[in-house]
Amino acid sequence: MSNLQSDQLLQMETTCGSLLYELQMIWDEVGESEAERDKMLLELERECLEVYRRKVDQANRCRAQLRQAIADNEAELATICSAMGERPVHIRQSDQNSGRLKEELAAIIPQLEEMRKRKCDRRNQFLEVLEQIQRISNEICKSTDYNSSKIVVDETDLSMRKFEELHRQLHALQKEKSDRLKQVLDHLSTLNSLCLVLGMDFKQTINEVHPSLNDSEGTKNISDDTIERMDSAIQKLLEVKIKRMRRLQDLATTMLELWNLMDTPIGEQQIFQNVTCKIAASEQEITEPNILSEEFINYVEEEVSKLEDLKASKMKELVLKKRSEMEEICRRTHMVAEIDNGMEYAIEAIESGAVDPACILEQIELQIAKVKEEAFSRKEILEKVEKWLAACEEESWLEEYNRDENRYNAGRGAHLTLKRAEKARAVVNKLPAMIDALGTKVRTWERERGIEFLYDGVRLLSMLEEYNILRQEKEQERKRQRDQKKLQGQLIAEQEALFGSKPSPSKPQSGKKGPRMSIGGANGRRLSLGGAMLQTPKPDLPHPAKLTPHLRPSKKGGLLSHHQDDSCVALSAGRRGLDIAGLPVKKHSFNAANSHEIESPMTRKPFSPLSAAMLPKVNPNFLEDLNKVQGGTMQKTLPNSNTPLATPSKLACVTDEDNRTPKEKMPIPMPTTPSTISVSMQTATTPAPAIATVLFGANKIEDNRTPKEKMPIPVPTTPSTISVPMQTATTPAPAIATVLFGADKIEEMHEEVEYSFEERRAGFVIPKTHVISVVQV
Amino acid sequence: MTAVLPTSAGRELSNPPSDGISNLRFSNHSDNLLVSSWDRTVRLYEASANVLRGEFMHAGAVLDCCFHDDSSGFSACVDNTVRRLVFSTGKEDILGRHDAPVRCVEYSYAAGQVITGSWDKTLKCWDPRGASGQERTLVGTYPQPERVYSLSLVGNRLVVATAGRHVNVYDLRNMSQPEQKRESSLKYQTRCVRCYPNGTGFALSSVEGRVAMEFFDLSEAGQAKKYAFKCHRKSEAGRDTVYPVNAIAFHPVYGTFATGGCDGYVNVWDGNNKKRLYQYTKYPTSIAALSFSRDGRLLAVASSYTFEEGDKPHEPDAIYVRSVNEVEVKPKPKVYPAPPP
Repeated sequence: MSNLQSDQLLQMETTCGSLLYELQMIWDEVGESEAERDKMLLELERECLEVYRRKVDQANRCRAQLRQAIADNEAELATICSAMGERPVHIRQSDQNSGRLKEELAAIIPQLEEMRKRKCDRRNQFLEVLEQIQRISNEICKSTDYNSSKIVVDETDLSMRKFEELHRQLHALQKEKSDRLKQVLDHLSTLNSLCLVLGMDFKQTINEVHPSLNDSEGTKNISDDTIERMDSAIQKLLEVKIKRMRRLQDLATTMLELWNLMDTPIGEQQIFQNVTCKIAASEQEITEPNILSEEFINYVEEEVSKLEDLKASKMKELVLKKRSEMEEICRRTHMVAEIDNGMEYAIEAIESGAVDPACILEQIELQIAKVKEEAFSRKEILEKVEKWLAACEEESWLEEYNRDENRYNAGRGAHLTLKRAEKARAVVNKLPAMIDALGTKVRTWERERGIEFLYDGVRLLSMLEEYNILRQEKEQERKRQRDQKKLQGQLIAEQEALFGSKPSPSKPQSGKKGPRMSIGGANGRRLSLGGAMLQTPKPDLPHPAKLTPHLRPSKKGGLLSHHQDDSCVALSAGRRGLDIAGLPVKKHSFNAANSHEIESPMTRKPFSPLSAAMLPKVNPNFLEDLNKVQGGTMQKTLPNSNTPLATPSKLACVTDEDNRTPKEKMPIPMPTTPSTISVSMQTATTPAPAIATVLFGANKIEDNRTPKEKMPIPVPTTPSTISVPMQTATTPAPAIATVLFGADKIEEMHEEVEYSFEERRAGFVIPKTHVISVVQV
Repeated sequence: MTAVLPTSAGRELSNPPSDGISNLRFSNHSDNLLVSSWDRTVRLYEASANVLRGEFMHAGAVLDCCFHDDSSGFSACVDNTVRRLVFSTGKEDILGRHDAPVRCVEYSYAAGQVITGSWDKTLKCWDPRGASGQERTLVGTYPQPERVYSLSLVGNRLVVATAGRHVNVYDLRNMSQPEQKRESSLKYQTRCVRCYPNGTGFALSSVEGRVAMEFFDLSEAGQAKKYAFKCHRKSEAGRDTVYPVNAIAFHPVYGTFATGGCDGYVNVWDGNNKKRLYQYTKYPTSIAALSFSRDGRLLAVASSYTFEEGDKPHEPDAIYVRSVNEVEVKPKPKVYPAPPP
């Protein structure tokens, strides 16, 4: 190259020399003056210089431009580096390096390009992140409008640090977004459950909050505003829920009260089980769908109003029911219900519509509460009174027992009676202390409350006093009797000495003493003596009403008739007596059954009319008891007669019952004439083999006998003759004996064969041959 | 408080018999109900539809009836005859006669025989496939110690309860003599005997408000399981009234059983756990008969005066069909497993 250039220069020089030579030649030829020639040469030289200067200037300018370019590039590079937070290493090198400018430029340009590219990338990254940030923050706070053009990247700081910072910011925003999303979903599910419970349209509810929430796939709006609105929606629904829940619970409470009041059957109640079981539930516990919906509440409300209507219509019944409830409490605690008269008025008032029944009901309920309270305070004393009364019963039994001449005879059950007597004595010994204690308790009670302690309307203290007086009287009486007995004993001893031993008329019970007898006897006797002890010390049987004067019925009641009450007491007392005796007595209502089982527990004799209807009157019961006593005395004679009868006791009972019917109709209590009846019994016990002919009639009798007093059907031939003498049964005439005999035959025959209800109804009778075979067996 | 019986008593069937109901039974194949009565009729009801499907008039009061299949049945009549009733044609023919009123009739699916018990102190087996006429249908006559009061079948076992508290247990495959001769463990007249559905024993009720649960197994361990309990009693104002237990019906699914007494109550019992499961509201008068439908979802109750107090005015006879709730008949979960009775 250099060779080539020097060649060119050389060539140019030669060209210049040859040109100058040509010029000289031309000049010589022209004959130019020397001065002209010099002038020409000077001009030539000047022009040459001019050209050189121009070229140098141009080159100089070019160099300056180059330098400028390098400086610019370096500056830009530095800027970029600094913006990117990188160290610009090459700048210093270029300073030191005084190499060619063009090389330098060429070296710097790719660097610059590289940096520019990187910057651009970085910037894009920034943009991206920023855009995301912008978007999220837009989502979060809806207020700032979303506008991508507004994104400005700070070109001066594109460092990694800044980038990381932005990233952190982005992450934070993303987290917030997911948090909010979760919150929104939570709210949505809360709303959903609330809507479900309240029976509202969930979709509509959330549409009202924000339409985007309804979209199951699309993005949900999570802005502050939405969340706030959701919050308020939830709050609102919650308030509604609580309000409705209270309403429902109120309704349920009312419903329960009404059910309780009206004894609504379980089946009807079960329909509303889901309501009533939520009666005490808290807000969170109520999750059942639709349970708080308007319709459901209306439905429950309807039911309640239905019940209310029912209640209104039943109010009278309810009032009566409440009243009987109260009376029951009073009866149990031996208090006298004070409201009876008032109640009658109240019911009249309800009937006439003058008074609001609810008000009366409330009043009664109040009274019941009061009575209950009082009953509670009386409880302790009442228990003591019970004990006292029981002891009194035992005392009277013991007294009677002591009077029994044959009490030490060894018979069946005698050991039990002995045991009972032993216990009774112990109890009697405790009686005075018991009365003292009771008296003190009652006095304390009365002092505390400032009212008298009434027992069935009678002051308990006066009852105690009365008892004490009676006791004293009895003591004297007993003493007198003892003296008399001693005297009598002496008399008998004297007579025996004179005439030899003779059965005393005062001791007709010579044979063994059957346990049934003793029980039956004890029944009647104890009761009668219980009355005698407390009322009149007369030995004969008192009027039934006097039996148990200390157990007074509520006289103002009017619900129970006087007689009924007495009978109940008498009967229950009798039954208790049996229980105490510890005999294997089943508590059958039917007395025949009773005696039967006691008498022959081994023979398992079937009996028919077990379910005897509750006897409606008292007197019959009492008289039945009397008859039992008589039957008992009759019974005693039986073992002597050596009859092959299986169950004579049954006979006794049956005749008693037959006799009873007319007696009931008689106003005069039957005097005790056991001796005459015992005669008839003896005739009755003789077995009669020739029976078959009368059998059918017998069945008829049996059947007609059961319905007792009602007796609607007149019976053919044989029974009619029976019914006539029955009327006169009280007078001990020989005629009766024969009639009874006839009746007995029938009864006896009847009792030999058991019949089922169906057989009786069908009138089915076992043929004679069968009977005989049975008898033989 | 009110005289009107609550609806919980069940649906009352229309067209009830006009006199005492002696028995009623559900079919083993449908909800048809066969009812025999003292008004001399046997009636066939479709219980679920409350329709009277047919009626047969007899010469005397009908004391018992049973199904053969859904198309025919048998009746036991006071006029000593055993009849076959064909429902589709309404025809009846006489299967045979006893010497006294026929008290009860059962059909054994195992033996394909009709078994009747009578007050003539015999049990007779009949083959209903034989042509009409005693000589061709009578399979055998088996004397009983007393008048037959109640019969019950389970599998090949037949339990016969008679007057005098006798109980005979037969194997239908060998009727020549009783497999077991027993005496009722109750002291009073037997009213009803019913075998457990699982075939291990029988329940027996008496006129004195008591039910005995007995077992066929004669071993000491088997007999140790037997017991009796009191029921259908009332205690009122210090008086206890005891009522006859007229009817026992076992639930076909759970093996629990219902008893009905003259007190008008129906009680449901769990014999295994010795618990009373349920008491239905009182019916107007005595419960004369009870029957569960084949799936145990229905219980037919005959509320009809059973003449326990002689001829007297009484509530009208009625049949109630009540749907049975599972709680009423399902045994309560036991504390420990007990062997089934």
